[in-house]
Amino acid sequence: MAHQTGTLSEGARRVWRHQRVLWWLFAVNLALAAFGTQPVDRAIGRVADHSLYAQRLYQGFDLSAFSELAANPEVALWSKVSSSLLFAVVFLGVALFLTGGILETYRSDRKLATGEFFFACGTFFWRWVRLLVLLLVAIVPIAMLGSVITGWAAVLSDAAPQEKLGFWVEVAGLLLVTVLMMAVRLWFDMAQVRVVAEEERSVVRALVRAFRLTRDHFGSLFWMYIRISFLAWLGLAAALFLWIRVPAQRLGFSFFVLEMALLWWMGTRLWQRASETVWYERHSAAPQMMTPLPAPETFLSSVTAASPESGM
Amino acid sequence: MHRLRPAVFLTAAAILLLAAADERGHAAAPAIDPAVPAGKPLSERVVAYQIDARLDTRKKTIDAVEVLTYRNLTGQPQDTFPFHLYLNAFQPKSTAAREFQRDDPRFEWKAKYYAAAEVTSFEAVGMGDLTSQMRFLAPDDGNDDDRTVFQIKLPRPVAPGESVPFRIAFHDQLGEVLARTGYKRNFIMAAQWFPKIGVWWQGAWNCHQFHANTEFFADFGTFDVRLTLPQDEIVGASGEEISSVNHADGTKTVSFHGEDIHDFAWTAEPEFRVFTDYFTGSAGMVKIRLLTQSGHVAMAERNIRILKQTMKRFDQWYGPYPYPQITLVDPPHGALEAGGMEYPTLITGGTTWWMPRGWRLLEQVVAHEFGHQYWYGMVATNEFEDAWLDEGINNYVEMKIMDDIFGKDRSDIDLWGLRNSERGEQRRGYLRDADRDPIARFGYQYMDSRSYGDISYYKTATMLLTLEKVIGEDTLRRALRTYFTRFRFTHPGKEDFLKTVEEVSGRNLRWYFDQAVYGAQVLDYEILRAGSQPADWFVKDAPAEKKDGTFYRTSVLVHRKGDFVFPVEVLMKFDNGEEIRERWDGRDRWVRYSYDKKARLISAEIDPEHAVWLDKDFYNNSYTVAPARGARRKLSAYWLACTQFLAQCLAWLV
Repeated sequence: MAHQTGTLSEGARRVWRHQRVLWWLFAVNLALAAFGTQPVDRAIGRVADHSLYAQRLYQGFDLSAFSELAANPEVALWSKVSSSLLFAVVFLGVALFLTGGILETYRSDRKLATGEFFFACGTFFWRWVRLLVLLLVAIVPIAMLGSVITGWAAVLSDAAPQEKLGFWVEVAGLLLVTVLMMAVRLWFDMAQVRVVAEEERSVVRALVRAFRLTRDHFGSLFWMYIRISFLAWLGLAAALFLWIRVPAQRLGFSFFVLEMALLWWMGTRLWQRASETVWYERHSAAPQMMTPLPAPETFLSSVTAASPESGM
Repeated sequence: MHRLRPAVFLTAAAILLLAAADERGHAAAPAIDPAVPAGKPLSERVVAYQIDARLDTRKKTIDAVEVLTYRNLTGQPQDTFPFHLYLNAFQPKSTAAREFQRDDPRFEWKAKYYAAAEVTSFEAVGMGDLTSQMRFLAPDDGNDDDRTVFQIKLPRPVAPGESVPFRIAFHDQLGEVLARTGYKRNFIMAAQWFPKIGVWWQGAWNCHQFHANTEFFADFGTFDVRLTLPQDEIVGASGEEISSVNHADGTKTVSFHGEDIHDFAWTAEPEFRVFTDYFTGSAGMVKIRLLTQSGHVAMAERNIRILKQTMKRFDQWYGPYPYPQITLVDPPHGALEAGGMEYPTLITGGTTWWMPRGWRLLEQVVAHEFGHQYWYGMVATNEFEDAWLDEGINNYVEMKIMDDIFGKDRSDIDLWGLRNSERGEQRRGYLRDADRDPIARFGYQYMDSRSYGDISYYKTATMLLTLEKVIGEDTLRRALRTYFTRFRFTHPGKEDFLKTVEEVSGRNLRWYFDQAVYGAQVLDYEILRAGSQPADWFVKDAPAEKKDGTFYRTSVLVHRKGDFVFPVEVLMKFDNGEEIRERWDGRDRWVRYSYDKKARLISAEIDPEHAVWLDKDFYNNSYTVAPARGARRKLSAYWLACTQFLAQCLAWLV
């Protein structure tokens, strides 16, 4: 238990010490979202900038005024979701690319040079792509289970004599699916940690060994993971609690609270990655790669013929 | 049996009479006949139903014998009589089923929805068995598979003023609740369950088929209904319970009596929890009987409170509720399709186990359904042809009641910092289908179900709200009170209502009604352009502009974007504090207002009081010369944060 406590603290320390990872990732997230928001911003401006009626959205939040604005053909708010979704997918790609560098930073626990960082990103990128595909495959049965439970809950809500039965089945199902998803995410996280730590080229082998590791130490790993998740949700809830109490016209402060909530949300995810890396260092029986990846120029110069990566 | 206490009624009527004598210079509303002599029916009782029914709770069937005595008050001999058999609508080939599927292609017919009303024998007393003479009709769409209307031709006519008793034996098979009537587990909602004669109206028989989008129309009379069912069933019904007699076989017979009503519905469930309360109005004490579910007992207080608050306002604003009882039924989960419905002296609400106080759906439904006791129950309009006269007027009144109780800005929702007004919600519904159908269209002829709801409910309410701008809120309330007291217990049509409004207001409102009620024109006025330019704009090297020193030419261009003509006010504000209000008749396509003064325009706004709720776009009603980007920044910030969150959640996959 002392070790686990130490694991979380050490993970937090590494995130703090290498906080520029968080800030850069957050900046990319903010920048991409800002791009994704441009169509909405322009559309709203066309209708609202010179309208007195729009004051009902600024001085308070009139739901009817918002509904009318969203439905206005010149705004067509909901049709802009695809633009935001596009930039969210781009961020997914960026995160996929940067994960290698992030994990290497936490594993080596030292400040990587820019070249080293991006070299690590590039080294592991295609392994992450393959892992992502496998993750989606692994999620499918969980999604199907969720769908079955939801359908069953709907039938119970209609037909069962106890009115709340359907609701509780839905809640239990949601909890079950959440736990399963978290368990799968933890498994894949550990696979990624192992790939970086052991320079593992085969993602399948990494997954198998990570599965065994996660299975054998599920209690401590999951407990570590879920505590951070809980703090993430708690922080988000606290921020929202504060946010709905910010006076309507305090736009700056309102935006600041939202951004802090998002920063916290992202930070806790990095905290999970760092803690998993620390845990692996302390519990893995396999010898650790204590030396960092060589700098790109050294590596390239020492290799006369690059061998292609082995596949799955 | 209950009669209005004449003294109380006289007092109430006197108050109404004084209120109707307008002190504001409008034409006084015609005197209302104040007194109903003791013993006199409230309505012209055309029908008297006596029904003996037996419920089989296992098979969900009802076997009954109905004796319907029909008084021929048509002024002509009658030998042909149409009847409704509404339960037959719940069959896959019926007109209603076709319309359900037409309006929602996802609608799936299931065997459990099947219901039927079968007439096993039909006799006109004194004229013999006429069962073989029954002919099914489809007067609305010619659908030969629809069995919701049948006709009987008698061997000899019934003379004007004479009565004819029909003795009808029938067998009902109830289906699972799909729309208003049926069963769910142990819950029974028996509505439109008996053969009901059509209405002789405006010189002809009016007996429409059952449609997906319309409700009902019947004559006033008396109902004496005896229901035999298991003793553990708790029963609620229209009218009043007269007696309950237990039998040795484990059943009981509960008798109900209702007067001056035009329909009879009942409900039964062993698990009902019963709450009783009383309301004292200008017509005396009214018993409130709430039948609710065990899981909703916590909502009982809310149900009764809103009912009493609504009854009080109807009593004060329009007139007394003359019946001895009102029954409020809360259907169980899975049967909410039976909720939100009105029958004379019985209404169905509907709630769930979790409904926080700031979510006012429970209150809206109860206020609305009680309102139907006035608009439909007593002012018994033709719901097939003039759905708006009950649904729309009732929606407007419901909005006024909710505003009065909860406040205009939070009468719809006041929850977790979110607020919304009923009027905003009504308008939102209207805007969805603003140009689809005129209000005055027959209910079953609307484009689809959504248009029916949006136009007959929401547009009518919005139309009446806008009418307040034209004639005043108080005048409209007086017009509604006059309409109620003049036409209660009768079957008025749309012109009866519209003419009453014109009469009470003393104004010719045809220009408004032709567009808003009979037409589908859309109202939309906009400030197309507005601004100020220095008067010496053509001078090169003109002196720098000085506040209060430079002459400006201001131009405001107002455009009628829609095809609905409505007089509007335009308010111009200048930077020297001056305000100019112009009134435009709105007939031309545009008008330009020009001003020369030592001030610049700040803003121009159409309808600054926001009283023209029919206007399709409130955003283009104003123009500020200097942009105010607060709303844009706020919404963009929210959107930005949501996009970031979405991206981070997606990145969880990595």
